[in-house]
Amino acid sequence: MLGYALRRLLTLVPTLLAASLLVFLFVHLIPGDPAAVLLGDSATPEEIASLTRELGLDQPLYTQYLLWLGNVLQGDLGTSIFFRIPVTAVIADGAETSILLALMTMVWIVILGVPIGVVAASYRGTWVDQVTSGGAMLFASVPTFWLGLYLILIFSVTLGWLPSSGYPSIRDTGGLANLRYLLLPSFTLAAPNAALIIRLVRASMLDVQREDHVRTARAKGLAPWKVSVKHVFRNALIAVAAAFGFTFAALVSEAVVTETVFSLPGIGRLVVQSILRRDYPVIQGVILVIVVLYMVINLLVDLAYARLDPRVSLK
Amino acid sequence: MTAILTMGRIFRGRWLATAGLCWLILVALAAIFAPLVAPYDPLEFDPLVRLSPPSQEHLFGTDHFGRDSFSRSLYGARMAIVIGFGSVVVALVAGGLAGMISAYFTRLGHVIMRIVDVLMAFPALLLALVLMTLLERSVVNTVIVIGIVYATTTARILFGMTLKLKGEVFVDAATCSGAGHASILFRHILPNLVSPLLVQASFIFAFAQLQAAALDFLGLGLPPEVPSWGNMLSESRIYVTRASWLLLFPGALIILSVFSMNLVGDALRDSIDPRFRNDIKGV
Repeated sequence: MLGYALRRLLTLVPTLLAASLLVFLFVHLIPGDPAAVLLGDSATPEEIASLTRELGLDQPLYTQYLLWLGNVLQGDLGTSIFFRIPVTAVIADGAETSILLALMTMVWIVILGVPIGVVAASYRGTWVDQVTSGGAMLFASVPTFWLGLYLILIFSVTLGWLPSSGYPSIRDTGGLANLRYLLLPSFTLAAPNAALIIRLVRASMLDVQREDHVRTARAKGLAPWKVSVKHVFRNALIAVAAAFGFTFAALVSEAVVTETVFSLPGIGRLVVQSILRRDYPVIQGVILVIVVLYMVINLLVDLAYARLDPRVSLK
Repeated sequence: MTAILTMGRIFRGRWLATAGLCWLILVALAAIFAPLVAPYDPLEFDPLVRLSPPSQEHLFGTDHFGRDSFSRSLYGARMAIVIGFGSVVVALVAGGLAGMISAYFTRLGHVIMRIVDVLMAFPALLLALVLMTLLERSVVNTVIVIGIVYATTTARILFGMTLKLKGEVFVDAATCSGAGHASILFRHILPNLVSPLLVQASFIFAFAQLQAAALDFLGLGLPPEVPSWGNMLSESRIYVTRASWLLLFPGALIILSVFSMNLVGDALRDSIDPRFRNDIKGV
């Protein structure tokens, strides 16, 4: 197990370096002088010259990359053109919203996805199964922003039950009551992903049901619900756990859209606004943080998977 | 004739998938005959009827410029087809070649597949967004960007499939009879991958619609003047409280098309070689 963990960790390093190289090159791929690009349109020639020196833009590309990487490893992601503060501070500002949104979304996904998937599998082939599986596929086909806009129209505009946009920090005012600002966004974000989990839970339940140990459990006269819960469901969850890395990537993508629809001050909206503002240091920083996070989560998922199913690490 | 028979076999008893196929044919017809069917010019402003609800003159109502939503939806079908097919072609050609070559020439493959790994470290929409910031907003660029995003998954899938086929006896036989690398790859291995590729294509087609709509909504997809379903939704966003039909119709068109394509992909997947069935993740 430890050997497996180390092996996986080592394979991560080259991918991470290559990804950081891509993120670094991003600014150089934009047409124009990188220093001018980083400083934005309002920069004076003196500012451009000083940043060129500071970032070593007059040096060869590989030196620049090493300098940049050195800064990144020390937690310096550069300065935002728009806010004029360090990129790390800008990202930290959006973190609360995005993390809480992600957690609430996960809760929705688990309470919706797992039970419905189990029900679909237990009633395999009946109308219950067809409706839930078909419904799940339908939900996976809905554009996130469309669902969000409709929920706003119904729950905020027509019924007036929930706020339609924004999110005041729980540290400032309102405390945990502010979480209601995230109810609609988290449901919007969860819907397509819960749909995928429903189909996944159903498929893996059906897979496990065919295995020998389940037949043995049934043959020895165990109550059907006990077979379902202890022998089928627990094993089926392994496949679901393995899908969480994928779910994270989908969440990040859709959070960009959802946070824009609900005007949430999170990292997803930060990406879009930074792109529209041409705030390249922030784009670079956020993308780097997300890629690293994604890789770490994938690693954790793989390790958890190997722990749950020891056959994996022996391969 | 055989094609029709095969289709009949695949879709028999799957009434929902059959309905999906019919809807897709309808969308394709709307796209082809849009100029003939559309009652109005999709770009024509008519301030007198701005934001009017659905009526006999304007089936889907009008938008904030008084443009006819029904006509715009018909032209939007064109964009949906162009984006879908374009992304499929880019993804299958680029990803397919990368995957097949990687599996066949293992040394080179190591390098190519590591590059694919790195690209897959970026969540799909994020990769698309970053690429779009480097490029101008245009139909061609949107197609290329979405195609590249799905080329990575396609490469990985085709890599696995080619690897499975490489060990088969028919490949050994072809090698013994003196077939060259290109001939083995494209005349012996590729024909076996046509049906899985078709399944993959249908899922890419479906996902591409959602990605394109999301890009349009964020203002980083097709140019704003292009009448696409995503742009129609994006523009109507601030008017939804007064004109909910502007949200309803284009959204319903996207959902129906994506849902149909997913259903068709699902039906096709069940009919292909069982060895490849689990390689292709759809919905």
